[in-house]
Amino acid sequence: MQFVTCYVFYSFIFCYFFTGEEKSPLCEGCTIDIDDCTCQDIIDTFHSVNRQLDEMGILERLSGAAVTSIVHNQIQRYINTTCKGNFETSYIDHLEKWLDTKVLGWLNSIYAGEKNQCSISAFRGRLLHFLFETYAHARIEQLFAIVIDYPESEPAILDLKTCLEKTNLRALLMTSLRKELEDRLLHPGVNTTDILLAYISAIRSLRVLDPAGVILEIVSEPVRKYLRSREDTVRCIVLCLTEEGSNELLDELIKGQPLILEDDTCSDQEEGDWETWMPDPVDADPSSTSKSRRGSDIISMLVNIYGSKELFVNEYRTLLTDRILSQFNCDMERELRYLEMLKLRFGESQLHYCEVMLKDIADSKRINSRIVQEMDNAGQKMDIDINALILSAQFWPSFREEKITLPTEMQKSLEEYTKKFEALKGNRTLNWKPHLGMMKIEVEHKGTMLNFSVSPVHAAIIMKFQTQSRWDVEELSGVLQMSVSALRRKITYWQSQGLLKEEVPDTFVLVDEVKGQGHEVVMAEDESESAMTSAYQQREEELQVFWTYIVAMLTNLESLPLDRIHTMLRMFAVQGPSSSGEVSQQELKGFLDRQIKDQKLVYVSGVYRLPK
Amino acid sequence: MKVKIKSNWTAVASWRWIANDENCGICRMPFDGCCPDCKLPGDDCPLVWGQCSHCFHIHCIVKWLNSQQVHQLCPMCRQEWKFKE
Repeated sequence: MQFVTCYVFYSFIFCYFFTGEEKSPLCEGCTIDIDDCTCQDIIDTFHSVNRQLDEMGILERLSGAAVTSIVHNQIQRYINTTCKGNFETSYIDHLEKWLDTKVLGWLNSIYAGEKNQCSISAFRGRLLHFLFETYAHARIEQLFAIVIDYPESEPAILDLKTCLEKTNLRALLMTSLRKELEDRLLHPGVNTTDILLAYISAIRSLRVLDPAGVILEIVSEPVRKYLRSREDTVRCIVLCLTEEGSNELLDELIKGQPLILEDDTCSDQEEGDWETWMPDPVDADPSSTSKSRRGSDIISMLVNIYGSKELFVNEYRTLLTDRILSQFNCDMERELRYLEMLKLRFGESQLHYCEVMLKDIADSKRINSRIVQEMDNAGQKMDIDINALILSAQFWPSFREEKITLPTEMQKSLEEYTKKFEALKGNRTLNWKPHLGMMKIEVEHKGTMLNFSVSPVHAAIIMKFQTQSRWDVEELSGVLQMSVSALRRKITYWQSQGLLKEEVPDTFVLVDEVKGQGHEVVMAEDESESAMTSAYQQREEELQVFWTYIVAMLTNLESLPLDRIHTMLRMFAVQGPSSSGEVSQQELKGFLDRQIKDQKLVYVSGVYRLPK
Repeated sequence: MKVKIKSNWTAVASWRWIANDENCGICRMPFDGCCPDCKLPGDDCPLVWGQCSHCFHIHCIVKWLNSQQVHQLCPMCRQEWKFKE
């Protein structure tokens, strides 16, 4: 009861104290018209009450609890109104000043007596601590937004850093941010790119907050784990790295430090000044060295999501191949520059294949111009000018093979080119890949001219309709010597262009009149399927290598359980130079199951055996 | 309907050596790749044929011949090694 009265009494005065300066028709203090405001009287009474209580020696005991709780409330309210939502200004100095002038001013006016001075200054210390704690709480609540906004929100991060040094909120900060990251990012609705960007922001901001990197390591652990489970993570990272325009990753790449991988052993010797040395925080994971946490940069952190450079380099190679083979307009200088930068990061040997790929492109240009020049000198001319991309097959990802017989005029040009090449480079010949590449064709149909840029396969198909306007799919696939399913896939392009239609199922007919004569140049849309064989197919081929071993094993030992086959394979087959390397028991089981389906293997009572 | 192929056909091909084997008998690497000491295939790491019709990466066979003190033999058939003209 006594507390409540005191509380109301003091908080009323506090309000007055803080709002006294504002102008409004009603006095804010006593809510009476400003002209006959009674505030001054109240204040006078207030002071005299305080003085008398003080003289009696019971002021402290009577008002202490109320005053403290009022001050706490006010601090909380002040922080919430001033700092919320604004991360771009530092508030620490401002708040401290506010505490010293306003709050302590009020306290001074209550405890005006001489002997109270030292207790007020002791109280200040406690209030300051409370201020920092409240401020830190407010910031931690919004930490996710602060992290996402990072370069702009740096003042907020620095404030938080100061607060953390003075309070004991580190653990709270970590759990709350970790939870926030999990709730906001780690669900299927978020794009991988967005998660990556958030992760990058987190790396950069938390490094400012905690240079030792421990907070980052603990907080971002679920993010890393989640990213590992997403299929397109590597692709996204590589895309980010090589994307045109300025972005953070690219800047990092240009800085060009060699990559630090987690498994790199580094010496315990700390560099730098011993006077500024700080021990690792108590929550640091003792199994990883402090240097690896402190030193690694963003790209290393991203690569460490998987922990292997190979995966990254392979993905880069796939993307490079796609760029070269599906766009034909890759900017060599730019690619070379990237390659050089990546080499600084990932090491020369890893990117050797890509280097050969780019050299192939440069060599192709040279060979093309040599051949054209030679033809000019001899006064010859090829029917179709060929601009060949000549690849060193060993160094490119394996391509999908598609068989097709090209129309004679195209085939002739290719053969002619091959002859020239053979003459130029003794003992070498070319294997053409007709399903790759691009050519410009002009289709003239009933007075309309249409231009297309299509793959040679597409061209070959439409050329067949020159002589015969109605084709059965089976028949056409026989003439072109390509599979029906592939043919159907290709024909859809011409259907979508309005040149062919499927009149009866399985029979395609040239349309009578081409609609939409307006468009002149139509580019073939980038085919969704990549030129390369899928990773799955490649893996399947690799597993085929094991099949011979397995057959030999089962011939000798008659029957074997899965784990015996697995261990024996690991002993004998897995040391080859090819990347087939490790095969997990799970994978092996899948492979064997497929063999059972093909009736090449029998599985009886836990052991595999060959069928009799 | 008439289809006319305009100039500039960007065609894609891969090159290979015309040899009777896939891999070099000395380094066991593919002919279309390069020997272990080389980085770039093709012009920079060519093949040579001997009169015995066996062929190798030039760097591989030269290394082999240099290591032989008395007779220079083809490592495959043990006949005397002579470069095919």
